[in-house]
Amino acid sequence: MTSIRGRLWRTLPLFAAAALVACAVAPLVGSTHLDLLKALDPSIPFARNTDAQILFVARLPRTLAAALVGSALATAGVVFQGLLRNPLATPFTLGVSAGASLGAMLAITFGWTLAFAGLSPVPLASFVGSLGAVGIVYALAQARHRGLSTSVLLLAGVTMNAFFSALILFVQYFANFAEGYRTIRWLMGDLDVSSYEPLLAALPLLLAAFVAFAWLPRQLNVLSLGSESAEARGIDVDRAQRLAFFSASLATGAAVSVAGPIGFIGIVVPHMVRLVVGADHRVVLPASAFFGAAFLVACDVVARTALAPIELPVGVVTAVTGGPFFLWLLVRRR
Amino acid sequence: MLTADDVHFGYDAAPVLAGVSVSVGRQGLVGVLGPNGSGKTTLLRLLAGRLRPRAGSVRLDGREVSGLSRAALARRMAVVPQETHLAFDYSVMEIVLMGRYPHLGPFELEGPRDLAIARDALAATRTAALEARPFNTLSGGEKQRVIIASALAQLDRRAENGGTRADWGDGLLLLDEPTASLDIGYQLDILALLRQLWTDRHVTILVSTHDLNLAAGLCRDLVLLKDGRVLASGPTAAVLTPAHIRALYGVEAEVRPHAAAGHLTVVPIGRVGDEGARP
Amino acid sequence: MAARQTAVARRVAQVSDLCHMVLLLALFVSTGASAGPVPSRIVSVVPAVTEMLFAIGAGPQVVGVGSFDTYPPEVKARPRVGGLLDPDLERILSLHPDLVVVYDTQTDLRQQLARASIPTFDYVHRGMPDIFSTMRAIGARVGRADAAARVAAGIEARLDAIRRRVAGLPRPRTLVVFARDRLALRNIYASGGVGFVNDMLEAAGGENVFADVHQQAVQATSELVLARAPDVILELRGDFESIPVEDRDRERHVWDALSSVPAVRDFRIFILVNSSLVVPGPRVADGVELIARALHPGVFK
Repeated sequence: MTSIRGRLWRTLPLFAAAALVACAVAPLVGSTHLDLLKALDPSIPFARNTDAQILFVARLPRTLAAALVGSALATAGVVFQGLLRNPLATPFTLGVSAGASLGAMLAITFGWTLAFAGLSPVPLASFVGSLGAVGIVYALAQARHRGLSTSVLLLAGVTMNAFFSALILFVQYFANFAEGYRTIRWLMGDLDVSSYEPLLAALPLLLAAFVAFAWLPRQLNVLSLGSESAEARGIDVDRAQRLAFFSASLATGAAVSVAGPIGFIGIVVPHMVRLVVGADHRVVLPASAFFGAAFLVACDVVARTALAPIELPVGVVTAVTGGPFFLWLLVRRR
Repeated sequence: MLTADDVHFGYDAAPVLAGVSVSVGRQGLVGVLGPNGSGKTTLLRLLAGRLRPRAGSVRLDGREVSGLSRAALARRMAVVPQETHLAFDYSVMEIVLMGRYPHLGPFELEGPRDLAIARDALAATRTAALEARPFNTLSGGEKQRVIIASALAQLDRRAENGGTRADWGDGLLLLDEPTASLDIGYQLDILALLRQLWTDRHVTILVSTHDLNLAAGLCRDLVLLKDGRVLASGPTAAVLTPAHIRALYGVEAEVRPHAAAGHLTVVPIGRVGDEGARP
Repeated sequence: MAARQTAVARRVAQVSDLCHMVLLLALFVSTGASAGPVPSRIVSVVPAVTEMLFAIGAGPQVVGVGSFDTYPPEVKARPRVGGLLDPDLERILSLHPDLVVVYDTQTDLRQQLARASIPTFDYVHRGMPDIFSTMRAIGARVGRADAAARVAAGIEARLDAIRRRVAGLPRPRTLVVFARDRLALRNIYASGGVGFVNDMLEAAGGENVFADVHQQAVQATSELVLARAPDVILELRGDFESIPVEDRDRERHVWDALSSVPAVRDFRIFILVNSSLVVPGPRVADGVELIARALHPGVFK
C-alpha cells in the first residue's frame, strides 16, 4: 500500500506519455501516404502543399478532436459513475446524448443553416439539444426532492432517453432516405472535423468542465460511502452532486457536439484505468483523461486505415473493442 | 458536550420530533432507544447538524451546531451508519483515510501523519491486518469495524493539537443502529469495541438502537424515544424497567442483572395482552 | 489502373444486367398467364418508374404514386401511398391496383401484395443501363412496348450526342457529392465508382475521383478529398435536399478550407439542384447535360 502521492507520480506520467505518443503518431498515419519533409517544407506555399494540408487540415484537427472528445467522455464517465454510485453508468445514461441526437436529427432533416461561434448547424443543434435534456433531467430530479436524488436522477435520465428516442423516430418519419442515413451515421460518431473551429468552439466549454472536475475527486471518493456518510465527513453533498452533474453534462454535451455520441469510451476507459490504478478518483480521473485521449485517438487510427480508402465509423471501432469488455465487466460483477 | 434542547422537527406537516431534549456529556456513553419509527434516526441527523430543528436548539460545547462549518463539525463528530455499500473497490486503508477529509484542504494529499493516524485507528479497531484488503471482500462485522476506524481517523485531533499520539478525546461518535445488520457474534464484537473505545480511549459515544440488550450492556445512560417524544431518560439501571419496556414496545419483559454478563439483561416474554404473557 | 478497374466494373455490371434481364424474362414466362391483361390501375412508389410510365404514355393508368414523386407535374394530382421505408399497404389496396411497382428491397410489401394476388413489378436501382432495360420491361408489362422502345432510343440518342460532344476533351477529375452537413465539410457522401451517378458523370465527360471504390457511396473525409485532389467538385441535390439559391455561394465557399484542392483553387465548385440528377429515370439526359455544362462550359454555350 503506497501513498497517494507515490501512486500519482508513478502512474500519471505513464498515462500522459501514452496520450502524447498517440497524438504524435496518429497524424503520421492515414489512408494516403504523407511526405513529412514536403509537408513541413516552408518554401512550398501552403495553398499548394497537399501534404501540408493533409497533415494540418485533415489529420491534426482530427487527432486533436479525438484526444479532446476521448478525454471528455472518459472523465465524464468517471464523474457520472461516481455521482450515481453505479459503475455501469456512462456519460449517456442521463439522456445527454439522446437530447443531442434529437438536435442533430432536426438540423439534418430540416436543413437548418444557423451557425454560431465556429459551430456549424448540426453541432450547434446537438449541443442545444443536450442542454435541453440536461435541463429537463435536472428539473425532474430536483422537483421530487430537496437537493438531487441520484435515484430520481437515474430514473429521469432513463426515461428521457426513451422519450427522446421516440421523438427521434417521430422526426425520422419526416426525413428522406439520405437524411435518415446521415442521422444514423452521425449516431456512430465522426471525428473528421476538417478545421480547428469546432475544436476552438468546444474548448472553452471543455476547459470549464475540466476545471470543475479538479474539485471533484476527493468528494467523489467520500461520496461512494453514501451521501449520509459523506455529509458526516464534512462534504456539502448537494453542492458536490450539482457540480458533478453539470460539469460532466457540459463535457459530454460539448464532446457529442464535436463528434457525435461515440459509445463505450465513457465506460471502458474508466474501468480499464481502475484495473491498473485502483479506485481512488484522484488517480482515476486524471488517468482517464489521458487514457481516454489515447484510446480514442488509437481507435480513430484504426477506423480510418483498416479499410482505407473507405472509412469505418469510429463508434463501430470503440463498440467492437468496448462491447465485449463491457459484457465481461457485467459478468464479473455477478 | 452535545445538547439538544426542546427540539421540534418534521419533514412535512406531521411532526416527527416534538420537544425532545437529549444531552451527552464529555466521555458520556448514551443510548437512544426506541421502536422503529420513533424518530431515532431523525434525532441523530439533527444532532449531527444534517437537519435544522423547527424549534429548539442543538449545541456543541454551547455553540449552535448550525453555526459551525461543515468541516469544523465533521472534525468533532463522526457518524457510523448501519451498513456501508461501496460502488468501487477501495482498499481498507483508502476507506480509513477518507476520514481525513475535513482535515485537508481542497487539493491537499494525505501525508505521513495522516497515514499514522489511519494506522492507529486501524489498530484501535483491531483491523490493522486488513489494511490492504479490498473493503468489498470483508465480512459485515469487519466492514463495520473499518468504518469505525474511519470515524476515529476523522476525530483524531493530533494534527491541530500538535501531538504525536492518537487524540480522540474531543470527539463524538454517533452510531445509527450499528449492529442491526450483524449476526450475534459480530454484534458482541462491536459492543466490546465501543466499550473499549469509551473506557480506554475516552471517546464520547451516542448510539441509537432498538436492541435492548445492546443498550443494557453498553450504555451508561439511556434516552427512551416513543412517537417523537422522550418517554424517559437517565442512568441505564433507572430507565430500563419492565414498565418502560411495556410502554415503549408493548412487550412484557423481565429485566434482571446477569451475573456472568455483568449487566442488566432483558428477556422478552410476550406481547402485552397475549395469553401466557405473564409468568 | 483505375481505368482498368472501372472497365472491369462495367463488365461486371453488364454481366449482372444480363442476369437481371434473364431473371425478368423468367418472371414474365412464369407469371405471364396471371399477368394476363394490360394493367389499367398502376400504383408506383418508385419515382424513377413513375416518370417512365408517364414518359411512355401510361400516365393515365397511374392511379397512385410515392411520397417522393415530384415529376411530371401530373403526379401532384395522384394519391400518395408512402415511400421506400413506409409504404402504406391500406392506401395501396384501397386504390384497387392491378400492378404495383415496388423496390427490390421491399420484400414485406411484395409478399403482402402477393397474398392479395396483386401483381408487382420489381425495381432494382443500379447503373445507367438499367434505366433502359427497366423502361423496356415496364413498357412491355403495361402494353406500351413500342412507346418504351422509342423513348429509350431517344434518350440513348441524346446521351450519345452528349458523349460525342465531350469526346476527346480533357476529362476533369471530379468529386460528386450528393449529401453533406449544411455549412460544414462533414458527413460528406460522394459517388463511388459504380451506380447511376457515376455513369452520368462519365457520360458527361468527367472522371470520378473515386472510380476505384466499388461502392455507390463513399464517405469522403477531408483527407480523401485532399489526397484525390479533384479538378471539379459537383454537388448534386434533388428536390428534397435542395439548397436555397441565396445559400449556394456560402455553401460553395465552405470548401475553402481545403485550398490545395485544384477545384477549390480554381473555384470549380458547382451546386446543381434538379431532380433529374437524382432520379434514374427518363430525364437522365437532362441530368447528364447539366453536368456536362458544368464540366465543359466551353462546349455547351
